[in-house]
Amino acid sequence: MIDVSNISKQVSTSEGTLCILDQINLSVKAGETLAIIGSSGSGKSTLLGILAGLDTPSSGTVMIDGQDITAMDEEGRAAVRAGHVGFVFQSFHLLPGLTALENVALPLELQGVSDALKTAEHYLQRVGLAARVTHYPRQLSGGEQQRVALARAFACRPTILFADEPTGNLDTGTGEKINDLLFALNEEEGTTLVLVTHEKNLAARCQRTLELQAGRQIALTNGSQH
Amino acid sequence: MLAIKMLLRGWRGGQLGLIFWSLVLAVAVVTSVALLAERVERALVNQSSAFLAADLAVSSSVPANSEWLERAAVDGIRTARTASFASMTYAGEQMHLASVKAVESTYPLRGVVKRSQIPFATDASVIESVMAAPQPGELWVDSRLLPLLNIELGDSIDVGDGTFTVSQILIEEPDGGSSFSMYGARILMNWQDLPVAAVIQPGSRVSYRFLMAASDTDDGSQFARFSEWLGDELTVHDRIITPDEAQANIAKTMDKGRRFLLLAGSIGVVLAGIALALASHHFANGQLLQVALYKSWGVSARRVRQLYLQQILALGAVGSVAGLIIGWGFHQLLLSAVRDWLPLDLPMAGARPWITGFATGLLCLIGFTLPALWHLPAQSPLAVLRRDIQVASLNSAVRGALGVITIAVLLFWYSNNAYLTLAILLGFAVTGGASIIFGLLLLRLGKTYGQKMGSIWRLALANLWRRKKPSLIQMAGFSGAIALLMIMTVVRTSLIDEWRWQLADDAPNHFLVNVASYELDGVKTLIQRRELNTAGWYSMVRGRLTHINDALPNEDLKRSHESLNRELNLSWTSALPEGNKIIQGQWWDSAALEGPVAESVGLAPVSIEEDIARELGLTLGDQLRFSVGGLVFDAVITSTRSLNWDNMTPNFYFLFPEGYLEEYPRTYMTSLYVPSDKKLMVNELLRKYPTVQVIELDKIIDRIRSIVTQITRGLEMMTLLILGCGVLVMFAAVSLSMSERLQESAILRTLGSSKRLILGVQWVEFSTLGLAAGLLAALGAEFAIAMLQHFMFDQAFTWHPWLWFVGPSAGALLVGVLGVTYSRKAVTQPPLQVLNSL
Repeated sequence: MIDVSNISKQVSTSEGTLCILDQINLSVKAGETLAIIGSSGSGKSTLLGILAGLDTPSSGTVMIDGQDITAMDEEGRAAVRAGHVGFVFQSFHLLPGLTALENVALPLELQGVSDALKTAEHYLQRVGLAARVTHYPRQLSGGEQQRVALARAFACRPTILFADEPTGNLDTGTGEKINDLLFALNEEEGTTLVLVTHEKNLAARCQRTLELQAGRQIALTNGSQH
Repeated sequence: MLAIKMLLRGWRGGQLGLIFWSLVLAVAVVTSVALLAERVERALVNQSSAFLAADLAVSSSVPANSEWLERAAVDGIRTARTASFASMTYAGEQMHLASVKAVESTYPLRGVVKRSQIPFATDASVIESVMAAPQPGELWVDSRLLPLLNIELGDSIDVGDGTFTVSQILIEEPDGGSSFSMYGARILMNWQDLPVAAVIQPGSRVSYRFLMAASDTDDGSQFARFSEWLGDELTVHDRIITPDEAQANIAKTMDKGRRFLLLAGSIGVVLAGIALALASHHFANGQLLQVALYKSWGVSARRVRQLYLQQILALGAVGSVAGLIIGWGFHQLLLSAVRDWLPLDLPMAGARPWITGFATGLLCLIGFTLPALWHLPAQSPLAVLRRDIQVASLNSAVRGALGVITIAVLLFWYSNNAYLTLAILLGFAVTGGASIIFGLLLLRLGKTYGQKMGSIWRLALANLWRRKKPSLIQMAGFSGAIALLMIMTVVRTSLIDEWRWQLADDAPNHFLVNVASYELDGVKTLIQRRELNTAGWYSMVRGRLTHINDALPNEDLKRSHESLNRELNLSWTSALPEGNKIIQGQWWDSAALEGPVAESVGLAPVSIEEDIARELGLTLGDQLRFSVGGLVFDAVITSTRSLNWDNMTPNFYFLFPEGYLEEYPRTYMTSLYVPSDKKLMVNELLRKYPTVQVIELDKIIDRIRSIVTQITRGLEMMTLLILGCGVLVMFAAVSLSMSERLQESAILRTLGSSKRLILGVQWVEFSTLGLAAGLLAALGAEFAIAMLQHFMFDQAFTWHPWLWFVGPSAGALLVGVLGVTYSRKAVTQPPLQVLNSL
């Protein structure tokens, strides 16, 4: 599904070139779950951005579903994202002016899906928010907001879901529930999941874990439970 | 359509309100002013035709050429001939030198004649408006002729050799204002009776007019062709009179009113434009994350552009239509204020105002909103992961230039006036430039001195400096709005003052001329007995201009120019009269008089009015010979002058220094205010002193006064609308930095800061911004006002010290209150709620 070979990312700063990622190699199969862990500033989010085609590496290639997205321009990568990729973010990124239902339906509508609202309602039901479809994000708790975000991500039926610290803004209890939901949906939909976290127990629920330290890949291990 | 759906959701979310209302206001202001201007313009063309009783007239000392009449009949042009002359009228023992006008039955071609069966009627219910002339054998006469001749309505009087029946009281003739009745009471008679009366003999002084008007079926082209043909046919005796000339007095007032309307409208558009630009900037900032999300979901930049373009176009269409409707409503409101002097069947406006309004909406969006949103499609999708990544917005210089170009195009297209466009743009440039230079300086000073002040001041002034760019944008917005409001208020006030001054309630409305020395005491007593006040008595000598440069004026010049055929009023003074301006040459002072020029050749210096000099082809140094009752003296032209006719005080075409005319028999003149209930004094005066000439201006002054009152009312209403625009700009500017401010305040509160500190910081920040903006606004406004007064309103430049006081203090108060009200949320809601809602 995802094949990464030798990707590096350097940025130039006033104090010279800074290496954020150094020679990362990785392969993720369809339906597999991968956690990227590491301390703050280790390059986790940068790697996630590159894997998802939101950012480009300085060198190396990323293949998604056999297509080299590093050779594409932004429009090409956008087309790949449109067909394959979904996102869940640490700060939810719900649009404050839209109801829960509209938030979930929006990406579907942008794709031109005809029964976007119906699909959205179905997914909101699946995350347990059937009663809150007309609520605005500010009327929902953090956990509920992230559930709406999960519904939005899965409603597009992505083949790969990228999650950036999905529970980083939530308390432990709520975070656990969100994680359960994430993995349950992932399994039902058969999605490939790549998530960035610094929580060991969340990483442990993934089949494999990639650990980064100062931009270097220091370990690629199988998870302890699945 | 998805874009529409997104638009509706955006509207519900409140992000679009400010853009929408700014747009609506821009369109509404333009539409209402354009509609009003066009309809009033069309009405005025009709109205001013009424002042002439025709669309065009030829004034002449000879009757109209018969060829003109034939050609007019062939071309379908309506015509009427009139002849005005002085004639003695008799009824038994009584007689009176009346001012007679003979008119053809087709008179008046435009406007109406007001007549009544009751002398001195003022009540509209007994006054009849007709488009008709007296039948042959009948006379319509001025009310005061009845007591003068001691007759009743229906009696007969003699005019020349004919005897006629007085059938109607003449209350008002449409073209009565254009020639003041110099010879006493007006009599209107039928043209066919001229041979019967046989008053016109070779050599009689008669003023002929050939009136013309387009037929009802003519779209104007036929008339235009005819008047062009006629233009080539005219001789030196003939002079074309257009409707504008016929009512120069009123036209000037209305023209200024129209210019102000235009100015106010332009200011409204500019204000709405600023509001739109600020609101769009704010909106674009709020869309950055949304666009990043779209792009992370794989939406292409092209599609993003398309979506926003569609939304903007839809918003523009709806906003423009709403603006058109509101504009229509507002123009009705404005119309109701000026209704009375407009004809009841006001012509409908054409398509142009609507097109202007709609195009304004689109142009505003293209110039202000699109540039603000331009960078959105280029937003990086990576921004969903990293907040620090943000696409650079369109270069602010480019945006500024686009905004200025849009404003310039709008202003010029709308006002069709380069001066106005330039004045506002330059005023803007001054304010804008000063905003950047002095704004930075003020902010810097604030920061430096803030260090030494209490915590609130230190924090607030440091904040302003830290947020330099948004602070400057806000300051520019505030100062622009304040400056424009100042410009409008000042111009409005000075115009109204000017009119009021011109038309004070007791402004002279009658002139008494040709009062002989031996009559002076009697006339003075009569006036005093009626408790009337004169504007002072002026001496003058009646004389004829007989020779120019030692030669008799040629016959053509003599026929074409009245002043060579009658006695002129010559007067003397040492000081240049108020309102007179030297155009060429020099005014005399005592030194020059003793100088060699005049003395050596033994000539009297004379200063003459510039129009008469031009018409007679006279220049400085030309010698004129005057004959005063058979005594002859020579003068040399030492200066030409322009006169001010607005102030209703006596003006003289020919002025001499003291010491040259005193030896000749002199007469006196004065101007005075005669209220309508004392009008009969004129009769008494004329009966007692038949040679005194009375020039009556009361009707025309009343007409001007009512028009001025209503135009003033219209201006007041327009001012209110523009104030609304100003408030909108303020709102837009305040909301610009609000989310950042709320966030900071919430953090401060979380850290335990008091409500007092937080509100205090907001108060100091906003009122400092307002103070600086007000100061800069005063600068820009003073500059623009100077230009406008000079180029657009013919007013002298004056300083407005109050601007420099009111600007900063009102700015500080207004912006401070608005800002604190807006940011109260920061202290009334729990900090977490504030942070979550951002």
